[in-house]
Amino acid sequence: MNRVRPAIWIARVILGLAAAMAIVPVLWTFLNAFKNRVDIVTPAPVFIFTPTLDNFIYVLGRESVLQGLINSVIVSGASVLIGALFGLPTAYAVARHPSRLTGEIQFFVLSLRFLPPVAVAIPLMVIWLDAGLYDTQLSLITTYSLLTISTTVWLGIPAFQRVPKEVEEAATVDGYGPYAVFFKVALPIASRSLIGALAFSFVLVWNEFLIALMLTTSDAKTLPIVASELTQLGRDVPWGILNASVILLSLPPLLFIGVLSGFLNSIVKKTNG
Amino acid sequence: MRAKNNYLAATFITPTMLVLAVLAFVPTIYAINISLQDRELSGSDANYVGLSNFIQLFSDRRFLNAAFVSLKWELVTVSATMIIAVLLAIMMFEALSPRLRNALSLVFLMPVLLPRVSAAYVWKFAFHPLFGLATYPYKALTGQPLDLLSNPNTALATVALVDAWQWALFFAVIIVKLLETLPPQPFEAAKLDHARTWEIYAYVAIPMLKAPLISLTFVKMIESLRAFDLIYVMTRGGPGITTETLDMYAFSQGFIESGKISYASSMAVLMMIVTTVAFTILWKRVRT
Repeated sequence: MNRVRPAIWIARVILGLAAAMAIVPVLWTFLNAFKNRVDIVTPAPVFIFTPTLDNFIYVLGRESVLQGLINSVIVSGASVLIGALFGLPTAYAVARHPSRLTGEIQFFVLSLRFLPPVAVAIPLMVIWLDAGLYDTQLSLITTYSLLTISTTVWLGIPAFQRVPKEVEEAATVDGYGPYAVFFKVALPIASRSLIGALAFSFVLVWNEFLIALMLTTSDAKTLPIVASELTQLGRDVPWGILNASVILLSLPPLLFIGVLSGFLNSIVKKTNG
Repeated sequence: MRAKNNYLAATFITPTMLVLAVLAFVPTIYAINISLQDRELSGSDANYVGLSNFIQLFSDRRFLNAAFVSLKWELVTVSATMIIAVLLAIMMFEALSPRLRNALSLVFLMPVLLPRVSAAYVWKFAFHPLFGLATYPYKALTGQPLDLLSNPNTALATVALVDAWQWALFFAVIIVKLLETLPPQPFEAAKLDHARTWEIYAYVAIPMLKAPLISLTFVKMIESLRAFDLIYVMTRGGPGITTETLDMYAFSQGFIESGKISYASSMAVLMMIVTTVAFTILWKRVRT
């Protein structure tokens, strides 16, 4: 017992440092977003300063940022919706009716993730150019649907497997048809885990960068692309503005942290117990 | 009853599989088609040139460099993520109460939720040689600025650190939750046998978690292929070509430098073949 004590304290110190590493750089970016340029470009870090909202006012006042925000919301929302529409029924069917093909379907859905994004983006650029749909929300939504559908199927299967079979059998005895069982029994019972799965696919699409970079030039640019372009405003890097746009871009995924943490708990419990 | 259920399975599965197949195979076939031509971004007329793009790749030193950088990236990020994640998870499990563990889990989840672009900027600020928070101690002690991202020897490792920052902390959360689901009896038995703490983990806990740990490694290998965002923001492949991975090189060939779409596409096709074959073999091996 005596020998263990110091080891535990060392472990606690290391964990504390890891927690600081997780938080401090982000917190620093957050603070810098409220600083004037003179407080950022300093030889030593400044912790006490007069906060300003100028950076956020500038960022939110730019038309490109507002347009990027609208594009990101529409594109992410629509592709997550399409992902749910196609993905959830399939996940349910695969979870409930295991067959010879189940393993193959799961592998096929996962293998879509093996495709390097460049490999998809280059031909898609040519396809959308030829179709006259290059740089539109529609082309991005279609492209992202591959991502959202496969993610929803992959994460939805374990969620539906956790629904007790007995409940569904009882519903069948009560005269529910197979579709009614899906809509009125399985879907509501699994809804908490399913929301986690959908949140996950939202975060994936919201954060996506390479495909959006290649498939848009002006009209359909999403927020990550707009944010990345702010660095190229010449030699005099507008640090405050850049920090503010990074914070703005990161807020929506961080709002889901609670949902995703709960989702993680339920998935892990399933796979190991 | 059975027939009705099979009917449901068919109507629920078939349309989705068709949509996925169209969305995945059309670009793939298109990519192969373009890679056999000499198409450029500026002109729309193109001729079929057979496999010459592919043959050219193997005498392109920049391509070979990019393949090597990608391989290094894959090895470094996957092993760093798994080692750090396992160590942190064990420390969390041993040294913290369940409540503290849950609180720390939320903190550790934050980096992976950040868009890669944001994570890249956050650390680019932190590593800024003049105004960065992470480089400040070095500057204060030595009086010299520390520019890790422009040094060919440290640039790739610095970007890899950001990748591990996002993924290792995330995986630590998953692994600690997996440890919590393990039955306590084998731990107690090992303690009765006077096993040291590290022995309990090395010979009891980790072997019990072998299957999920292999799955996590597999997932990380796939996700490590998506290095582009970090590298694009932090170094653009520089200094020189020391951090230029395959996707970065394909992107700059196709879009920035020369607009050689067909050449870039042949690179992408090659990557696609290698990753699909390698991961399929790995997956089948792991699962059987």
